[in-house]
Amino acid sequence: MDTHEIETAVREFILQEFLPGEDPAQLTSTLPLITGRILDSLATLKLVAFLEDTYGFEFAAHEVSAANLDTIELIGSFVAVRRQK
Amino acid sequence: MTAKGSTSAAPLGAADLRASTQITSREELWTIVVITVQLALALLIVHAFQLESRTFFHVMVLAAVGFPFHALLPARLRLPMFALLSLASIVVAFGARDGFFLIMLGLVLIGLCHLPVPMAVRVPLLLVTAALFAVWRMELLPAPWSVAIWPILASMFMFRLALYLHALKHDGQRPTPARTLAYFFMLPNTCFPLFPVVDYTTFTNTYFDRGATQIYETGMRWIARGLFHLILYRFVYLHLAGDPTALHTLGDLVQFLLATFLLYLRVSGQFHLITGTLHLFGFRLPETHHLYYLSSSFTDFWRRINIYWKDFMMKLVYYPSYFWWRRWGGTTAIVAATITVFLLTWLLHSYQWFWLRGGFPLAPQDGLFWAILAVLVVQGSLRELKQPRRRTLGRGPAWSASLAVRTVATFTVICVLWSLWSTESVAAWLMIWLAAGNVAPGDLWLLGVLVLGGLLVAGRAWSVHPTPDASPHPFYRRPTLQSTALLVGLLVVGTTDLYAWSSPRLAAVVASLQRSTLSARDAALKHRGYYENLDNASRMSANLWSVQAARPRHWVGLSSTAAWRRRDDFLGGDLQPGARIVFNDQPLTVNRWGMRDRDRALEKPKHTYRIAVLGPSHVMGSAVADGDTFSDALERRLNREADQKSTIRYEVLNFGVAGFSLVQQLAMLEERALQFRPDAVFITDSSGLNGPILPHLINVVASRTTIPYPELEAIIGQTGVRALAGDGVPAPFHSVRSLLNAAGVRTRMPFHEANHRLRLSIDDVRRWTLRRLAEVTRQHGAVPVFVALDNVLESPAVHRGVLEEAAAAGFIVFNLLDVWQGREKDSLRIGAWDDHPNAAGYRVVAEHLVTLMQQSRAELRLTEGLRDVPGSP
Repeated sequence: MDTHEIETAVREFILQEFLPGEDPAQLTSTLPLITGRILDSLATLKLVAFLEDTYGFEFAAHEVSAANLDTIELIGSFVAVRRQK
Repeated sequence: MTAKGSTSAAPLGAADLRASTQITSREELWTIVVITVQLALALLIVHAFQLESRTFFHVMVLAAVGFPFHALLPARLRLPMFALLSLASIVVAFGARDGFFLIMLGLVLIGLCHLPVPMAVRVPLLLVTAALFAVWRMELLPAPWSVAIWPILASMFMFRLALYLHALKHDGQRPTPARTLAYFFMLPNTCFPLFPVVDYTTFTNTYFDRGATQIYETGMRWIARGLFHLILYRFVYLHLAGDPTALHTLGDLVQFLLATFLLYLRVSGQFHLITGTLHLFGFRLPETHHLYYLSSSFTDFWRRINIYWKDFMMKLVYYPSYFWWRRWGGTTAIVAATITVFLLTWLLHSYQWFWLRGGFPLAPQDGLFWAILAVLVVQGSLRELKQPRRRTLGRGPAWSASLAVRTVATFTVICVLWSLWSTESVAAWLMIWLAAGNVAPGDLWLLGVLVLGGLLVAGRAWSVHPTPDASPHPFYRRPTLQSTALLVGLLVVGTTDLYAWSSPRLAAVVASLQRSTLSARDAALKHRGYYENLDNASRMSANLWSVQAARPRHWVGLSSTAAWRRRDDFLGGDLQPGARIVFNDQPLTVNRWGMRDRDRALEKPKHTYRIAVLGPSHVMGSAVADGDTFSDALERRLNREADQKSTIRYEVLNFGVAGFSLVQQLAMLEERALQFRPDAVFITDSSGLNGPILPHLINVVASRTTIPYPELEAIIGQTGVRALAGDGVPAPFHSVRSLLNAAGVRTRMPFHEANHRLRLSIDDVRRWTLRRLAEVTRQHGAVPVFVALDNVLESPAVHRGVLEEAAAAGFIVFNLLDVWQGREKDSLRIGAWDDHPNAAGYRVVAEHLVTLMQQSRAELRLTEGLRDVPGSP
């Protein structure tokens, strides 16, 4: 599963779970999710749970950060790297 | 919550980034020039309004001068230059010696972080070092540096060390020396002990991650906003935030609740200034607050107010706690993690105050505040888990009733909770609600206007930003124009000469904001601090704290010295006859009669006009030497000016005792002063003469001391405060005490309730005392004179009808409340921490009294003696 597929899955999850009814085109790969206050702590934990369940790895506490999860692009890169470990 | 959207261009690639941070175009150079001019405007505003401290002004000058040079430097030199500028600011603020030690102690801590040993060894070493620093902070060990370095050193390291260690452990990049120095010693921290908890990773990742001029413009906008907040704060502090013990009506209570929360503007103002200044040096840090007054829920409030603290807790506490607890389920983990965050916030808040002000406050109202907020946030989180809140990427409805109601309700609850956090005790907080039952005309209108205005403002989704498109902002929305307009506007408002002729009241209000003065409440607290230890350092406002911190440690109240004699009667205490001490750096001698005076004969010498002066500390002569009190100065002045043909000599007898209230002056007059058969009795008090009466009468009632005046006893009896004099458990409100008494529990009235009840009758007490003083004086053949005199205050106090009352009671009134106006006050007072007049100040008082005595010669029965003195003040 490449990064693009991961990003697509994540985008679908975010739209369905947090942004129902919103224009998908506005949820770009580089839109800040955490620093842009779209995802708060509860939403971030839901996203973490989704990623763990979908891709079969466990987050460490320090990995739940804007550096890894702020944009769909960053999420895709992070998941791809973690899955290789 | 709605998406902020991207208000700026997308992040740049590395090569583009390096290129964009260099100033290459004329337009970018012009932006640098404009921002430098804006910084100059900001400095003018800081100067015009005397905002914050002198150190702050010097640091801002350093930033303003350093900015253009920094902006024009090659990119690789900027971070080192910022680090050097930061170190330089420490030396500017503390001087070479203390600055050196502050930096060295900081380098020790940084060095420990980088020891080539496992983290499990480094952390305990740091803790041991911190413990040693704490011992120095408490001044239990001698040190070659001033204790003043600790608040700043601590604010630089007490939280950032943890984030730095976290980054060392988890981030891939090794920090450079310049970045580490810049992070810990960052420039604005030198003048702000209360500092946002800047995350190291964010500090690194946001460094010039956008175009340079874009970052600078945002910084300048935040600096302008910060200055505006600080000026607004000063208005709230001086004119809106009242004394919680003096609330009478529902309107007073609503104003108090609002103003107490609005005092937070100082923190948000400072934080805007700090992050704005950091932007000027390339650190595109996120905002520290986001429209926190418009929070629509308690979880929303937690996310908007002090965002850096919230992120700090998330990183180091919430997420680690969540992951540890989630073996018991996700919901349990969220609840446990949230509770842990709030518990630690409470404890770390006290930890912070230890370093900033000393002590380790764990007051019940603090714990209650955080506990209640924790419960509300947990509830909100559980609700959001079941029913996620609505988010939108675009613009929502123009106005939403649901949002309006939720926001106003949240704001109201937060104001109530904030008032709990800010009062002296839970008992004191309960007392403020007594005012709610007294609805004055207009109170309901006020409430209605506030609620309606609040709903109108709160129903708009202010956080929504339209997604960026290709079209540029209209000119009026350009950041540079907005910040320039705000800065120029503040300068114009601060130049009161421009409009004083047409709006004198507005000009007077603005002028009051242009001095760093204490509010009436803090001035009264400061005055109380002359007589007792104000040990509630953490509850003091920043303004009062800065005054108290300047006070020498040996500066104590009179009751802590050997010159004080405690008594178990209505007087409560007086001066110890024969005492000879050094009191606040000056010799203080008490004669055999218990007067701070040279020895006097009881029998009045022939041809002597005798004046008995009674009053509190500024009569006794706090912190001036024997012979330098205003009684001494007045006696010398009168005898020097006496008609050379006259045989009349003057004696001015000093019966002043520090801390004496008007009622104690009455007791002193009758017990002692009248024995000396004065010709005139000068009753001296300040415009705030109610202040000392209350605690004195409460002590009298609490100690079951007999009140030797039946009329006064009757007034006090009517207030019901006799319930204070019990051995039982303090229980607020008569109904609660009755219930508990019926259940067999002995109770008494709490001090705060007694204070509140007595305060309602204080005007009656004052008027009775004035009448009694005048009557007794006249009965003994003397002329009663009321001398209204304050300490050397920045602005004259409000009279509140005291002068008229004194005249109505039968006094000749000598009004010296304006005696300090138009003079260089610093040269006439003891110091910044003590407003008592010094010797020069007392000579000014004596001069004025001589003039007033000349004008009232007939009433004073001065048939001969004083000659006219031309050119009297």
